[in-house]
Amino acid sequence: MPRTRSGSRRLLKWIGNVLLVLLLVWTLVPFYWMIVTSLKPDREIYGFEATLYPHQPTLAGYARVFTTTPFLKYVRNSAIIAGANTLASLLFGCLGAYALARLRFPGRALIARGLVVSYLVPPALLFIPLFAVLSVLRLIDTHQGLILTYFSFSVPFSTWLLMGYFHSVPLELEEAALVDGCGRLGTLFRIILPMSLPALAVVAFFAFTQSWNEFLYANVFVNSVEVRTITTGLTLFIVEDVFFWGPMMGAAFLSALPPLVVYLIFQRWVVKGLTLGAVKG
Amino acid sequence: MHGMHRRDVLKLAGAAGVAATGPWWRVGRSQAQRAKKLVFWHLPNFTPLADQLQKEQVYEFAAKHAGLKESEVEYAVVAGEQANAKLAASIEAGNPPDVIRLYESNVQFYGAQGHLIDLTDQVNKMRREPKGIFESSMAAVLYKGRALGVPLAVNPWPVHARLDLLEQAKVEYPKTWDEFIEVSKKIQSPPRLFAFGMCLGLVEDTTDNVMNLLWCYGGKMVESDNKTVVMNSAANVAGVKTIEAMFKTHKIIPQGAISWDNSGNNKAYQSRQAAFVMNPSSIYAYLDSNDKDLQKKTGLFPVPAGPKGTVNQIDTWSYGAFKKNPYPDIAKGLIEYFMQPANYDRIIQSTGGRWVPVYKRLFDSPFWREKPEFKHFINMAETGVPVSYAGSPTAAAGEVLNTHVIPKMIQRVLVDNWEAAKALEECDKRINEIYARHNKA
Repeated sequence: MPRTRSGSRRLLKWIGNVLLVLLLVWTLVPFYWMIVTSLKPDREIYGFEATLYPHQPTLAGYARVFTTTPFLKYVRNSAIIAGANTLASLLFGCLGAYALARLRFPGRALIARGLVVSYLVPPALLFIPLFAVLSVLRLIDTHQGLILTYFSFSVPFSTWLLMGYFHSVPLELEEAALVDGCGRLGTLFRIILPMSLPALAVVAFFAFTQSWNEFLYANVFVNSVEVRTITTGLTLFIVEDVFFWGPMMGAAFLSALPPLVVYLIFQRWVVKGLTLGAVKG
Repeated sequence: MHGMHRRDVLKLAGAAGVAATGPWWRVGRSQAQRAKKLVFWHLPNFTPLADQLQKEQVYEFAAKHAGLKESEVEYAVVAGEQANAKLAASIEAGNPPDVIRLYESNVQFYGAQGHLIDLTDQVNKMRREPKGIFESSMAAVLYKGRALGVPLAVNPWPVHARLDLLEQAKVEYPKTWDEFIEVSKKIQSPPRLFAFGMCLGLVEDTTDNVMNLLWCYGGKMVESDNKTVVMNSAANVAGVKTIEAMFKTHKIIPQGAISWDNSGNNKAYQSRQAAFVMNPSSIYAYLDSNDKDLQKKTGLFPVPAGPKGTVNQIDTWSYGAFKKNPYPDIAKGLIEYFMQPANYDRIIQSTGGRWVPVYKRLFDSPFWREKPEFKHFINMAETGVPVSYAGSPTAAAGEVLNTHVIPKMIQRVLVDNWEAAKALEECDKRINEIYARHNKA
């Protein structure tokens, strides 16, 4: 029955393709809508008929973003916080993951499980205790306070993800390095990390996007323009029950660009990392 | 768990407990040790000019009247939508702002918990100004006879009406709800234009819109004792049936209104898809800066009368000052500075009609006298009632508003096809539970 089997395969392929197209539409339409809304004048946004493309395109929304809000400061703050958190996640995640994957010490299993548990605690439960801690440390309304807060969810995740990946690196390679006189850190940086680039790319990408998109903590812990991030800046386009859609969509589109660039840079490794490291351990 | 014994685990748990709770012991000290002597959280006003003026006033007061350096002042802009979560966290951590603008139920809520400074002296000073203030605003700030907030602005809920459509149909703005239905049928042309953009979604504006109509039929939610819930009444049944008829029989309300959020009625009016909406003048202020053409075609009117006449809604925003503040006199001084009539008038006028002044004499200015659309505002401010009418805007009333008990009631009728009486009975029971719990506490 080779023909029937081939027909079934073709049918499955078709169904798969249709599903992929549907998913693509599902994913891209909100972005498309965001972009076209940012280019429409208010009257068209509020018009009776929703227009698929701007009939009278305008950059007024973007002009408003740059003239009435300190948008570039928000971008700067988000970049500082997301960048610092990404570096810290990579550094502490690597060290922690290596220790948990390779070293034997009391409480290792408990810590490894604790990583997953701590990652699963909903942020809504933590924002009040964290506010208290940051108040005492006088870190409310500071970049450092927000970076420290983001460590609390990005480092456990990074460690957990890297731990799985490190387990997949053959132990013999390390042992050979140790025999040749390499220390633990040397082994980590010279042997393990170069072999784990896909996993590091995933960690960097997730840490960056999580910090970039985070809203709740940024909203609660930050007051001043000097520290405010993009996500909380966007909410200032809602005044009471009036939404300023044009500038809000413009700002949202601009704020989506940096994670997109990061993703495009790391795309090849990210996909590889997701399919390898994430399922091991 | 290699090499770890039960005792080690207990030690570790103890150390973790101390580490986790340690900061709480010091929370109280963090406020006293802070570097800033004045912390003001600003919720954006309706226009950038008003925001700018308010900021200038904070720094002016700090420098000239409190002798503070700029570095000793924290002026934070907090998005209104997110203010509650932020405020709750800061109070819990013992680090709330010194001064903030509060909605009426929040004054009662935080006041009942003992967080707010008594501002009775400041309010009495305002009352002594020539012509005094609108006493209708006091319901929002009085708690056990003391003013725990300073009324900042009265917020009427007029009917925004399309004058051009009334003119085209050669009809006047309707005086009663019965006339309103007839006029609506004449001016609407669905599906492009519905007459009445009444908010019916599971949101706060629905409670406001529904209750405002029920009052005109003699209905109310609770008696003035803030204990006796009277939702299940013949007057409320009549009012709910009118809404049902407008929605199902006369079809003057768009069907989609049952899924609107608080901005649904704004959008309907701003997009010219509704001829009438009941809303604070945020719509009017939006049109002032974004659609002058539609603004010219817009009139602001009292709600039509029912069998028991016309009752208009107001809500009141206030300044509140938190007790957890090592410099309470500076906070009080800032509020007094804001409320000095000359300073105050500049901000109020810069909101383009969004805020209505609490000082009666400010209505004598050309800004309020010369625009015909504002001619009903003074009467609305004088006689308006809060959404909790006949009760006060207590914390219980705030919970009724925030948990959408009344929107659920109206959706029982419009979506689930319940009889009005049955839906009101269920609603009455739920509100009773809320009030009983709060009164017991």
